[in-house]
Amino acid sequence: MDENASARLARRALTVAHRVGLFLAMLLICLPGIWIVLSSLRPTVEIMAKPPVWIPQELSFDAYVAMFSGIGKGGIPVLDYFRNSLIISVTSTVIAVAIGMAGGYAFARYRFRGKSGMFLGLMLTRTVPGIAMSLPLFFVYARLGIIDTHFGMILAYVALNIPFTIWLIDGFFRQVPKDLAEAAQIDGCTRWQAFWQVEFPLARPGIASAAIFAFLTCWNEFALASQLTRSVNSKTLPVGLLDYTAEFTIDWRGMCALAVVMIIPALTLTYIVQKHLVGGLTSGAVKG
Amino acid sequence: MKGFKPSAPILLLLPAFVVLAAVVLVPLLLSLYSSFTPFRLTRPETFFVLIGFRNYILILSNPDFWWAFGRTVLLLTIALNLEMLLGLGLAMLVEKATRGQRILRTLMMFPMMFSPILVGFQFKFMFNDNIGLVNNALQSLGITQDAIPWLIESHLAFTAITIAEVWSSTSIFAILILAGLLAMPKEPIEAARVDGCTPWQTFRYVTWPFVMPFAYIAMTIRSLDVARAYDIVKIMTDGGPAGRTELLWTLVGRTAYSDARMGLANAMAYFSILLSIAFTVYFYNKLAAARAQIGAEW
Repeated sequence: MDENASARLARRALTVAHRVGLFLAMLLICLPGIWIVLSSLRPTVEIMAKPPVWIPQELSFDAYVAMFSGIGKGGIPVLDYFRNSLIISVTSTVIAVAIGMAGGYAFARYRFRGKSGMFLGLMLTRTVPGIAMSLPLFFVYARLGIIDTHFGMILAYVALNIPFTIWLIDGFFRQVPKDLAEAAQIDGCTRWQAFWQVEFPLARPGIASAAIFAFLTCWNEFALASQLTRSVNSKTLPVGLLDYTAEFTIDWRGMCALAVVMIIPALTLTYIVQKHLVGGLTSGAVKG
Repeated sequence: MKGFKPSAPILLLLPAFVVLAAVVLVPLLLSLYSSFTPFRLTRPETFFVLIGFRNYILILSNPDFWWAFGRTVLLLTIALNLEMLLGLGLAMLVEKATRGQRILRTLMMFPMMFSPILVGFQFKFMFNDNIGLVNNALQSLGITQDAIPWLIESHLAFTAITIAEVWSSTSIFAILILAGLLAMPKEPIEAARVDGCTPWQTFRYVTWPFVMPFAYIAMTIRSLDVARAYDIVKIMTDGGPAGRTELLWTLVGRTAYSDARMGLANAMAYFSILLSIAFTVYFYNKLAAARAQIGAEW
């Protein structure tokens, strides 16, 4: 009897401990984000206050209004940055996914010599740190005159995303049974038709998540963008964050507001993609 | 049809190779060449002067470079191990949760959406010695009266950078290890329990070997992208105070763009590239080994 009671107590204690642990972990993960949102809504005086003001006295959207009200009124050309980011990210994602689909399909469906070596080689091109990459690219781009253009950034980002896109899409094509496409071919489809009619629709969710992942990489990239962009012609949002810094001071409120603007699209997309993303990463690598 | 087949994969891979050759390979060869010249951006004619290995000798005999190199390896070792442990813990916490799995999983991925540069600014803000969240909290709780100079004192700055790095990348480990836990068959665990294993033994000899390949996938993915830390360090301390948190990548950036010594910077860049490649190949091999082990057991 006593033993039963103590066992029950131990289990309850364990459940509570688990809940508390989970709550603390999630709090730690989310705190920086919450803090940014909160700071973007508070007046600068309150952010700078000493002793600190813990409970916000007044919340306002002033920082957002100022940010969008253009140069000279305390704003930065955020709409230009946003447009640049969007154009560059979307275009390079589309191209990278098209190329990645071809490559991933080749790795998933064909046997050929030097396959695993080629795969590793592709991955290794991704290991070159952005900053190390930016030196020769800067030089080449300067010669070609495509510094500070959308084209230059798109080209760089396509190359940046291809290896990973191939890895992901390879994994998703592996999940589609080979027999299906073969059956379609026996029924009279060409290989091309079998791909578009059978294999592509089945792998589509995975390809979509590979696309979102590529998009996020472009959306967040900084090391290359900071060197290859110069003006509102091609500056992206991550580089735009620097506009809020001066030599010794930083406009924290404005920066937090811009950060929120940057995160919202990323947040939405990641929420959509979360389920497929992990499946693609692991199936390709474990079953390969 | 049969004669066409062997060339099909090559044809399909061709666009990928062309783009990578144009944007990665050719510039890399160019930078390899320029690492043998005293090239300065301000003096284009220096591009054609060959000086042999002088750049390499220069950096190899430069203690600052070795400090940066050592610091980079140290940061990666600490960060990757911590991320792995925390990610494992987090994944197991989330896996045990009976309700709200989807929300928990999304929350878990929260840091992945942050641009590394954003992570840098965010932690710079939070670790600010005057108005930062961390010091404010410590002072309000009465733990300390002084403003702790995070980001200014060298060891604290290194700690702060590690925390930022760990925060931003733990979720990659957590999400992949969680995928491993969810994919794991339940029978072996039950069998182990019936046979009288303690929870620790069950974890050590049943769960862990199964989850290991997933952890190595995470390691491989992370090591493809280790230089993310550049953005964070660049923003948080920019290598300061007095070069005490300088990593290979920030050193490369400074040499190239502030000092405009491209040749020297490219020589350094080659070291950081080799470092990344070493990390990636190492984990890729580990992954292959772990995968073979699983394949044999399950």
